[in-house]
Amino acid sequence: MILFTSTGLLLLLTLSIPVGIVLFLLAFGIDIFFSPFPLMRGLGQIVWSSSNSATLIAIPFFVLLGEILVRSGIAQRTYKALEAWVSWLPGGLIHANIATATLFSATSGSSVATAATVASVAMPQADKLGYNPKLFSGAIAAGGTLGIMIPPSINLIVYGFLTETSIPQLFLAGLIPGLFLAVLFMVVTAILCAVNPSLGGPGIKANWGQRISGLADLIPLLGLFGTIVGSIYAGWATPTEAAAIGVAMAFLISAMHKAINRTMLIESLKGTVRTTAMIMLVVIGAYVLNFVLTASGVSRALQEFLQNLGMGALATLMVIVVMYIVLGFFIETLSLMVATIPIVVPIIVQLGYDKLWFGILMIILVEMALITPPVGLNLYVVQAARKSGRFSDVMIGVIPYALAMLVMVGLLILFPAIALFLPSHL
Amino acid sequence: MKQLLSWLQRMNERLAVAAGVLLLISVAVTLFDIIARPFQMSLGGTDELSGYAMAIATSWGISYALTSMAHVRIDLLRARCSSRGQALFDAIAILSLAAVAIVVAYRVWPVLAKTIKFNSTANTTLETPLWIPQSLWLAGWMWFAASSIIIAIAVISYIASGKFNEVNAVAGMRGEA
Repeated sequence: MILFTSTGLLLLLTLSIPVGIVLFLLAFGIDIFFSPFPLMRGLGQIVWSSSNSATLIAIPFFVLLGEILVRSGIAQRTYKALEAWVSWLPGGLIHANIATATLFSATSGSSVATAATVASVAMPQADKLGYNPKLFSGAIAAGGTLGIMIPPSINLIVYGFLTETSIPQLFLAGLIPGLFLAVLFMVVTAILCAVNPSLGGPGIKANWGQRISGLADLIPLLGLFGTIVGSIYAGWATPTEAAAIGVAMAFLISAMHKAINRTMLIESLKGTVRTTAMIMLVVIGAYVLNFVLTASGVSRALQEFLQNLGMGALATLMVIVVMYIVLGFFIETLSLMVATIPIVVPIIVQLGYDKLWFGILMIILVEMALITPPVGLNLYVVQAARKSGRFSDVMIGVIPYALAMLVMVGLLILFPAIALFLPSHL
Repeated sequence: MKQLLSWLQRMNERLAVAAGVLLLISVAVTLFDIIARPFQMSLGGTDELSGYAMAIATSWGISYALTSMAHVRIDLLRARCSSRGQALFDAIAILSLAAVAIVVAYRVWPVLAKTIKFNSTANTTLETPLWIPQSLWLAGWMWFAASSIIIAIAVISYIASGKFNEVNAVAGMRGEA
């Protein structure tokens, strides 16, 4: 039964069947072959109750917020303002890439959109100032991944929904590891460029006047982030309400830059519905599979199987981590997360680990999936924005950051408090 | 066939905009609720309405994601194939999608049937007659099944006549996500 589920999953995925559909097919298969009673009679009810959710509607709200911001031209302004602040560090503009990606992805919540936007703003600068393209583009691809860790994060909402973990708590848990990872990226850049200056390039000479005036462009974005995250943490608003406030603020920011018009609005709505539906098909599929796995006893069989293996908790966790890294070479973030949650999270809980903590660990692992070839979406997005040069440049440039993520995985396993400190003290 | 496909594409774009507007309304209702809360003028039941909006926007949006080829697929073996091989992969993908869509469309009926039979209302202050949101939601899944059947038929007929590029254009994979 376990063999059927896991090989079935991999086989159907490699056939390039849409991920959400694969999850449905697996659920049907288990129902037909292994379940003592027909489970699929209740399919309609499961589909209804998994999508009729005031929690999940936060997803389209955050996607819409991101769509509006991306189309408002605010990324360009943010980049300009941040380059004045951070480009004196060894590595120059590379820090601006990471900082912009961090701030922008924190508010928009989408990794791919962030990588695309920052790449389109930053790449012309790299050519003009003669930067080594490897580390420069690697930093954008890696920086973009931070969006799914730093709250508000769509991936954390999905994780919370599927594992019945508190979403505000997950948002609290993701904050320190997310910011820590951003700082780690900058430290790695500074060290590499201090040792070998040819990896970087010249910074922008900026005086304090420029830095202060640049703040005017940063304040709206920081305000947006602060309002969303602050209102959730303070308990004033649910994630969904905070997202609705965020959409209103994004409209205001966009209106300030006179970026709102009919075409922009229609494109934003279409983009929102497309992304939401894409996410939801996978989420509904996982919900159905979750139900079938539990009802037919697969989850229990899996736990017994693991217990009989006689491995310790840590060894099992290591196997799971390695499995994510390997699968991450081929499968993308959300699909990887959602397809594995029904199988992996019950095991983790059984081993005595914290669901909240594992959510954050899993996010770092799937962030790595975004930048590990051959299937690493952010690599392709950045390459597409470069218009010239070899794909291998981005692949090589991202290696130091992928290693930094591995270090972060290790730290999080050794010191769970990095994630659990805020949720347990606030 | 081409005309039918481009009609489907246009239709789904319009439906997507409509679903988007529904989400915008939902944003507005949520905001109103937040602003009105300190004044004790809150509508109540915002969560309930948001849930319905989400279910309906999702079920109708899934067809748009289908026609714009946004549903995530793993491009591992397929990427290494000739255009003929790729067309076969696309055919497997759309046929399994259509099969699932038909099963779901068939299985969602009992939900509405039961609601109508017992004249169910939501167990909330609004006492929403559930057949209203459920029939809109159900229609979305019906439409998804219909859209996928149309595309599946198109793909099969294109493969039969050797037009592999056409297959890629209606049921292939987009580079971006």
